[in-house]
Amino acid sequence: MALTGRLGLLALLAAALPLLLPSGLTLLLVWGALLLGVAVDLAFAGNVRALALHRSGDTRVRLGESATVVLTVENTGRRRVRALLRDAWPPSAGAAPRLTRVDVPAGERRRVEITLTPTRRGDREAVAVVVRSRGPLGLAARQLSRPAPWRVRVLPAFPSRRHLPAKLARLRQMTGSNVALVRGQGTEFDSLREYVAGDDVRSIDWRATARRGDVVVRTWRPERDRRIYLVLDTGRTSAGRVGDVPRLDCSMDAALLLGALASRAGDRVDLLAYDRRVRARVEGSSRTDLLTSMVEAMAPLEPELIESDAAGMVSALLSRVRQRCLVVLLTELNPAAIEEGLLPLLPRLTARHLVLVAAVTDPRLTEMAAARDDLVGVYDAAAAERARADRTRLTAELRAFGVEVVDAPPSDLAPALADAYLTLKAAGRL
Amino acid sequence: MVTGAVPTARDVAGRRFRAARGVVAFLLVALIAALALAALRPAASPQRLDPASASQQGARALAQLLAQRGTPPSVRRSARDAAQHSTSDTVLVVTRTDRLTGADLDLLRTAPGDVLLVEPGQRVLTALAPGVEEARGAYRDAVEPGCAVPAAQLAGRVGFQSGATYTVPSGATGCYREEEAARLVQLPVGGRTVTVLGSGAPLTNEYLADQGNAALALNLIGARSAVVWLVPDLPAPGADDGDQGLLDLVPPGVTLFALQLVVAVVLVALWRGRRFGPVVTEPLPVVVRSAETAEGRARLYRAHHARGTAADALRAGTRARLMPLLGLPRSAADDPRFSVEVVAAVAARTTLDQGTAGFALYGPEPAGDAALVALSDLLNDLERQVRQS
Repeated sequence: MALTGRLGLLALLAAALPLLLPSGLTLLLVWGALLLGVAVDLAFAGNVRALALHRSGDTRVRLGESATVVLTVENTGRRRVRALLRDAWPPSAGAAPRLTRVDVPAGERRRVEITLTPTRRGDREAVAVVVRSRGPLGLAARQLSRPAPWRVRVLPAFPSRRHLPAKLARLRQMTGSNVALVRGQGTEFDSLREYVAGDDVRSIDWRATARRGDVVVRTWRPERDRRIYLVLDTGRTSAGRVGDVPRLDCSMDAALLLGALASRAGDRVDLLAYDRRVRARVEGSSRTDLLTSMVEAMAPLEPELIESDAAGMVSALLSRVRQRCLVVLLTELNPAAIEEGLLPLLPRLTARHLVLVAAVTDPRLTEMAAARDDLVGVYDAAAAERARADRTRLTAELRAFGVEVVDAPPSDLAPALADAYLTLKAAGRL
Repeated sequence: MVTGAVPTARDVAGRRFRAARGVVAFLLVALIAALALAALRPAASPQRLDPASASQQGARALAQLLAQRGTPPSVRRSARDAAQHSTSDTVLVVTRTDRLTGADLDLLRTAPGDVLLVEPGQRVLTALAPGVEEARGAYRDAVEPGCAVPAAQLAGRVGFQSGATYTVPSGATGCYREEEAARLVQLPVGGRTVTVLGSGAPLTNEYLADQGNAALALNLIGARSAVVWLVPDLPAPGADDGDQGLLDLVPPGVTLFALQLVVAVVLVALWRGRRFGPVVTEPLPVVVRSAETAEGRARLYRAHHARGTAADALRAGTRARLMPLLGLPRSAADDPRFSVEVVAAVAARTTLDQGTAGFALYGPEPAGDAALVALSDLLNDLERQVRQS
């Protein structure tokens, strides 16, 4: 049950009556009338229990975009339902409008469209649909909360997908598949074709030329069907925010770009998210649905506030991977965490695989190191220099183990990682 | 933000005490004053002409004298009480007549027995001693009676201090005259004797022993077999006749109107207070800025004036960036064996001499905060010059 503002207004207006007819009876009559109105409204309000709620609409939305969920309200009762309806979603689902007015005659149905503009990644579930069915006089209403389950999965934003065409163009240039005049880079023999003016004379295959009586060149292409293993560190260091974005989200963005690029380049891409246990794993996806399954797996991931277990991560990786692959470890170059956790285990990893560590640099450190106007600024700069020195030292240590390191600010990490991959591929090191 | 020394808990407590001590002292003084006043307050009522009061203005001495003579005054605090205890053989002493309401005066007028009015106003005179009117004040202290009232004749000279005088209507006797007006007027009203006394001074503890004061008081008051002494309390607010309480003046409709307003407010509160379904909660992600450790370290440096550590960090950072520019191996940045070479290379490419460059890159800990800022500026300048050369 719920009262309305109209009842309050009526009671307020009725306060003038005792001034005109000063008697206790007047007041009792007023109260009786109001009570009667409320009773009539409650008795004749549309039945909320007789409403059937159906949902349809989007189940997936990219972070930063809007999804539409349709709620169909069907009135199976005998009375018309005039109601105010609230579709209750968690605050971060960004549901709008908050309240909708619906008017469903008996036996009919109405559509209510809810627009969700989520502010965070992950699964968002509808909590309940609350219906406040108003009586004919508009003095009181019946209110009931009804379950109407629906889930919308908010996927990572993947803002760096704008870099994909440029990286694909570079990839095509490497494979030599688009421009005939450019000799493909790489080490894998692709095919023989006729010499065209402009081809590199070093690539002439003399044996074939002799056989054919025409000048024939060999073409090359990078190796295909290599394996890339993307490892997302979801431990405590991934919770730190650079700007207003957690490191984990930057890492996901870079992983998605690399995954998209590598799958186009014909490599197999797998994904593992790990802190102290496996949080998500994508293995053996086909080229076409790789991106979808990666995005699906990443959507519910949240940084866990626990120290990552590097040993567990390495064994989880080694137990699954037999052939040599490129292990891309997206983590934070935190001296304490890396030196105690990962460094001692690196030889096991580098013995069979090529390891690439990618991390986000915080532009705030650069800012702090540059602003040295006063004493506070100088101390800030000293602390920032110290942090950068630690990072540089750690990078050097990792490189000493033969590990590739990509360390870039958030906006550049994804393209930098893609470039590093393309460079490795061009050099035939995969 | 922390600037300068970090205050200790002791400092903070001291500062708070100093800020609050004025208020605390004031409260203490006020408390002590209140306690002292409460302790010093006499137990007896300090009212003027109160038989229970031993103060100079009280009348306890007179009351004791009367008691010794067999007519102890029965003290009444309300006119109704006094009127009930009056009989035809009592003297009703009415003091503090300014506190009597119209209703009180009506009660006293119908009460039996003689009445002594002490310092009455015109309103009281009109009600209880018709015909007598207030004249003007008199300031001569000792006066001869000069009349036929026995009590006055027996008392002789009486010290009245200052007091009021009254006109003497026909049928009344006036004593202690000041020109035409009298300080004491006695007249019969409806079968009883009403005496009007213009000054209460002869009855007070202070002046009872003066001249014939005691004689006058005892003869006037102790004339009958019992004494009822009325010292009225302050009338309750609105107790005056003809007055009504605020609520009596409000028309009945307004009360109902207010009641209905309350009902309306409650209904509106119920309308606004009804929640539209459940409160939806969700776990929020932790918000930690990535640069927090660096910022925290900066604050630690500052709080502990770690100039040496800060200077080392700044120098190491600059050296690391300079090495590639100078064409030296990166490992030379932190290797003291290369220091001479590095300083020479820097001096050759900048306007700085070797001493300054050496101090900038490998110097000792700065002596003060100003020196640290100066070192930072010097390093900036040095790096810029090397980059531009």
